[in-house]
Amino acid sequence: MAVLSQPRVHLHKLSPRAGRRAGVWVTSREAFWIALEALRTHKLRSFLTLLGVVIATTTLIVVMSVINGMNLYIADHIANLGANVFILYQFNWTTSSEAYLKALRRNKAIRIEEFEFLRDNIKGYKNIGAEAGLWGDSDVKYKGHLMHEVNLSAETPNMIDIGQAKVESGRFINDSDYQHESMVCFIGHDLVDEFFPSLDPLDKEINVRGIPFRVIGVAARIGSTFGQSQDKFVAIPLTTFQKLFMARPELAVNVQAWDAQQMMVLEDQVRALMRARRHIPYKEDDNFGINASDTIMALWRQLTGSIFAVTVGIVAVFMVVGGIVIMNIMLASVTERTHEIGIRKSLGARRGDILMQFVIEASVMALTGGAIGVLLSLMISKIVNIFFTSNVPLSAVLVGLFLSAGVGLFFGIYPASKAASLEPIEALRTEA
Amino acid sequence: MAMGTQVVSSSTQESMAPPVGVMIRTENLWKTYDMGEAIAVHALSGVTFELERGEYVAIMGPSGSGKSTLMNLIGCLDTPTSGKYWLNGRLVSELSDDELAYIRNKDIGFVFQTFNLLSRASALHNVELPLVYSGVPAKERLEKAQEALRKVDLVERMHHKPNELSGGQRQRVAIARALVNSPSIILADEPTGNLDSATGEEIMGVFERLYEGGNTIVLVTHEHDIAAHAHRIIHVRDGKIERDETVE
Repeated sequence: MAVLSQPRVHLHKLSPRAGRRAGVWVTSREAFWIALEALRTHKLRSFLTLLGVVIATTTLIVVMSVINGMNLYIADHIANLGANVFILYQFNWTTSSEAYLKALRRNKAIRIEEFEFLRDNIKGYKNIGAEAGLWGDSDVKYKGHLMHEVNLSAETPNMIDIGQAKVESGRFINDSDYQHESMVCFIGHDLVDEFFPSLDPLDKEINVRGIPFRVIGVAARIGSTFGQSQDKFVAIPLTTFQKLFMARPELAVNVQAWDAQQMMVLEDQVRALMRARRHIPYKEDDNFGINASDTIMALWRQLTGSIFAVTVGIVAVFMVVGGIVIMNIMLASVTERTHEIGIRKSLGARRGDILMQFVIEASVMALTGGAIGVLLSLMISKIVNIFFTSNVPLSAVLVGLFLSAGVGLFFGIYPASKAASLEPIEALRTEA
Repeated sequence: MAMGTQVVSSSTQESMAPPVGVMIRTENLWKTYDMGEAIAVHALSGVTFELERGEYVAIMGPSGSGKSTLMNLIGCLDTPTSGKYWLNGRLVSELSDDELAYIRNKDIGFVFQTFNLLSRASALHNVELPLVYSGVPAKERLEKAQEALRKVDLVERMHHKPNELSGGQRQRVAIARALVNSPSIILADEPTGNLDSATGEEIMGVFERLYEGGNTIVLVTHEHDIAAHAHRIIHVRDGKIERDETVE
């Protein structure tokens, strides 16, 4: 056996916290170890305890992801009207329901004459086009095949430069088609898939609402928005549409500016011209709407804001419930481990050390719940993204983790202070 | 060389720190438990004694004599109702909870009758615990803990948990834990109480070697055979020191 060392006589200074910067690190590592050990030994108990936090974190992240996914979608598919484009329409798309009901009574649809008037009177625009349509209720036939609920849109030739659609093969409606009210059409990709899976669609004749049209071009695939395919359309010249389907269509006039600054100028011009033409007294509101990407985004934010507010409320309730469950189990754990606390105190653990041990344990537990919630929400988000849209933002993951750790911290304080204030001999006397 | 029984009465002397070399000095220690209804139980009634560095002392007495209370006071697990206690030249009877924790950590090594090891931790980690609360970094901690386990011949079993060790081995782990922070005194409370006599003798052998290595040891027991290992025996009865004898 080794020679036993001479004990050192040390009259050290009595400052328990002096030189303890490294010490805090050491003791918190110990606390972390204990926390993981506790989680490991009581797997089922820990899981049940953490359910509240798991659900709260999952809910928060899933909702944030869906909103984020929709935001991206809106930005990509809806609000992106094209670069520097605004749309004159009967209504403002971004009004409250009250304002909409009011507008429904007094606003007048935009007509061809007004489009032509604007086209001839606005100065300096890059493009001005108009479109109308019969949305989602047209039957299209090709030989034996029939397709329901196709969007029939009527366009001016320059809409190809303004809108989202791109030509994949053939060509778009041109000025000649427009002037001659030609029986031609430019079709979306869904129709190609349905009617011409292995054929060249160009120059084929399809039946739109019982009237034959010659296919002159195919649009590149756009994709779907909220599960609604954007490729299920037939575009025909606006003039043809007027002749065959609707003499006075309600138009959406698309004005394209050269740059963002000019857009404001053009919007003002359009507003002034329209008010003058419609003889609107200066005190009265517009009886038409001017819509741009940013106004749509603003409405959208307002909408998702309220969804988010409700979610925050629900998550708060879950988190509080989850926190109370954690507090409860921590109180039980303190009672269970009174003897251990006594041992630790007899070996020199201070109040602060014990306090930290239990606070860290509660936080680690809650954080584990948060991490499970993150994993769960990643999976749910993946599934949601299949049929809807969801995109997990990093911020949601961070918020979820911080929030759960915070809940553990907060609800761990009371049990921890109970443990810390135990008297060493009393605690040692308690049977293990 | 009886040095414990002189009663210090002068108030000027009371507040004087003991000379260097005196490890423990108590002055008129009282511990009173208030049982309510104006009934007070005196667990200790005026205990005064001194203990020098390097002594091997047994505190003996029947159960209820107050020896455990005295040990708790010496070990800074409890504070006296009145009286003064110097440990290593420092008046510890007036320290705060955290300061007492610091003293327990640095100056005192406990060996308990029931071992008081953490059942879920390995022998090594149990021995490391006092160092954890001293803030010693992991590497140094491991070295010191292994060194302490080597002193009690348990290095090979350091990764075993207490329930995988025999009673004697557990008590040796506890002794290693008591030693690891190089304390001023080792305080053993009935260290052989839960062991058979052969193992008990083995543990007493360990204490003997510690004493020879220069450690100060205070042993609390009610068994004469165990107390006989010490070189001085303080007999406690009814909360008072009855007899203080030096054994050669």
